[in-house]
Amino acid sequence: MILMQTKAIFIDAYRELNAKKLFWLTMVINLLAVFIFASIGINEKGFSALFWTFDGQFNTSMMSAETFYKLQFLLWGVPYWLSWGTTILALISTAGIIPDLVSGGTIEPMLSKPIGRGRLFLTKYLTGLFFVGAQILVFTIGCFLVLLLRAGSTEFGLFLTIPIVLAFFSFLFSVCVFVGIVTRSTITALLLTILFWLMLFILNVGDSIMINQRERALMKAESMPAMVEQQERFAQTKIDRWIDEGKPVPGMDGEPLPAGAEDSLEAVSTALMIAREEADDAEKGVKTWTAWAARVYGAKLLLPKTQETIGLLSRHLIEDEELDGLINLMNENNENSQNGPNSELNQRVAAVYEARTMTWILGTSFAFEAILLGLSTIIFIRRDF
Amino acid sequence: MEAVIDVAGVDKMYRRKVHALRGVDLQVGAGEIFGLLGPNGAGKSTLVKVLLTVIKPTKCTGSLLGKKIGDKSALANVGYLPEHHNFPKYLTSRQVLRHFGAMSGVDRQTRNKRADELLEIVNMSNWANHKLGSYSKGMRQRVGIAQALMNDPKLVILDEPTDGVDPIGRKDIRDILKRLKSEGRTVFLNSHLLSELEMVCDRVAIMVHGLMRQQGTIQELTEDGSGFIIRANAPLSPSAISAFQSSCPSIESAVNPNGLEIKFQTSDADKVQPAIDALRSNGVVIESLGARRPSLEDLFIQAVNEEPGGARPGAQSESPTTSKGAHS
Repeated sequence: MILMQTKAIFIDAYRELNAKKLFWLTMVINLLAVFIFASIGINEKGFSALFWTFDGQFNTSMMSAETFYKLQFLLWGVPYWLSWGTTILALISTAGIIPDLVSGGTIEPMLSKPIGRGRLFLTKYLTGLFFVGAQILVFTIGCFLVLLLRAGSTEFGLFLTIPIVLAFFSFLFSVCVFVGIVTRSTITALLLTILFWLMLFILNVGDSIMINQRERALMKAESMPAMVEQQERFAQTKIDRWIDEGKPVPGMDGEPLPAGAEDSLEAVSTALMIAREEADDAEKGVKTWTAWAARVYGAKLLLPKTQETIGLLSRHLIEDEELDGLINLMNENNENSQNGPNSELNQRVAAVYEARTMTWILGTSFAFEAILLGLSTIIFIRRDF
Repeated sequence: MEAVIDVAGVDKMYRRKVHALRGVDLQVGAGEIFGLLGPNGAGKSTLVKVLLTVIKPTKCTGSLLGKKIGDKSALANVGYLPEHHNFPKYLTSRQVLRHFGAMSGVDRQTRNKRADELLEIVNMSNWANHKLGSYSKGMRQRVGIAQALMNDPKLVILDEPTDGVDPIGRKDIRDILKRLKSEGRTVFLNSHLLSELEMVCDRVAIMVHGLMRQQGTIQELTEDGSGFIIRANAPLSPSAISAFQSSCPSIESAVNPNGLEIKFQTSDADKVQPAIDALRSNGVVIESLGARRPSLEDLFIQAVNEEPGGARPGAQSESPTTSKGAHS
């Protein structure tokens, strides 16, 4: 009976989505996105779009067609289309699932059937994920076929997109379901979920800024001792020369130190004084940014890691060596810049993100989802309708 | 008779403010059509929802189809039509029936067959493939009743089944109810349409303000209020009143305000004969004489007017002067 009821709820969910037209609208947009994905390419001359080729450095000597497609998939397919486009459409389509279920006249016949409230609620929750799952599946199969037909690659790793994007959506959907069961309002559930998503986005931007600033401060603090030491050597040489020349050295043999100087070295070298001050400032900067980064990290710890979850895909889908050609090209273009992909700062920041393990990312995020879903289920089970 | 519904002391308090049910006792036997009467807000729907686990009672002991109240497995044999149902408008009536059939655990083959049979019974076969969004209220009600029967239930609970249904539809529903009874099913009707209940119910209960006021067969309930009415062609003189009261001191009687009518609270015609003789010997011309039996409506109004703490505000007493043997 459990299977029969579950199947009935899923069929009903499909019919509901079908009636809303959004399911098929999203599917059509999905296929359009796959078509765009297929229409671009790379060959030995350069970048191609439909029937045209744009000659340039960006060609197969820099990266293989397979890497090109995987990169496109990771650069816009997942973060923009699946994470934003599909997710927004999915939230619009599914935000009403729980408020509609608990509305008067609908809930009574459902609860009067031999199905436990907890199971009914969680099955309904799964129907929301079913919407997104179907959309991601179609998009991923489309992209897999493009990769196969256009680049001759059978990259099964592409299918990791399904659980990863589904996990990403489920974090947001748990918020939507919670607000939906508490307020019984579709529009409130949708708006508060989008607001929550925006808050996560801001938090992620804040996290990125804090990590950047902390690493920058650390790099500066790490470079300062050498600079101070160098200035100290210069100052000592100067003092030695003054002693040889019989000149009075401030702070030695009863000579007074000038204002602001802490010792004879600083008294003879303003550069040393400035270097030491900068070293102190760098230390303070490290403390400040480390504290702020820790605060943001603490806040993130309790919340779902949407950005990192999506980022897991690039960890597993593409190897660094595959992008060497592209990175070299970018470095050449950023020769005089410290912001190139291979700059030390970027490498350190990337290392911080890499240090966040999959267990931490998914574990804490699923814990958040489980708590919210658990609360929603308890409310549903205990409520009188 | 085996009790299909047997509950005692059902109590429901909403948020410690609204006392919806106040220790309701109810027994419904197998194979009968039971009607629960009550004004709006009496607690009828709350009681039904408690039985169906839609609402959790504050206190309740008893069973539904032999299983403890709250046991979901009992619901596999219960069909339910809620009062303000809102079945998915994007589904056709056939899809609604099949969906709820599946939710009740009816296998695919049976539910496909039964859905078509039930649509035939509720005269909706021609609309089987139309979406509910295009239906009238009455049509939706018919589909709702069919939905309640999808799992071939032993107990059918219908909350205001004739709501929004035209007279022909009501007759159809009555016929369905009689058919269900003939098939040995128990039907629990929740309604405030007294005439509908009077026509089909074996037993009724009247509920007011969360309290069960009366319960029994219509015969039993109306027996207490049955009696005889004598109507004179002119107002009775005090001597005539005194004469008939002393002629039958054991019968409760009442003279209406205009002095033309006397009501006797007895169903035994023999006991009224001395009063007729006394009136006639006092020169009273009897215009009419007849048996009186209160309708369900009379009982209902009486029950509603009997507020727990006194008379219902604005309610009129039926008999300004009543006596048991002696006129006051």
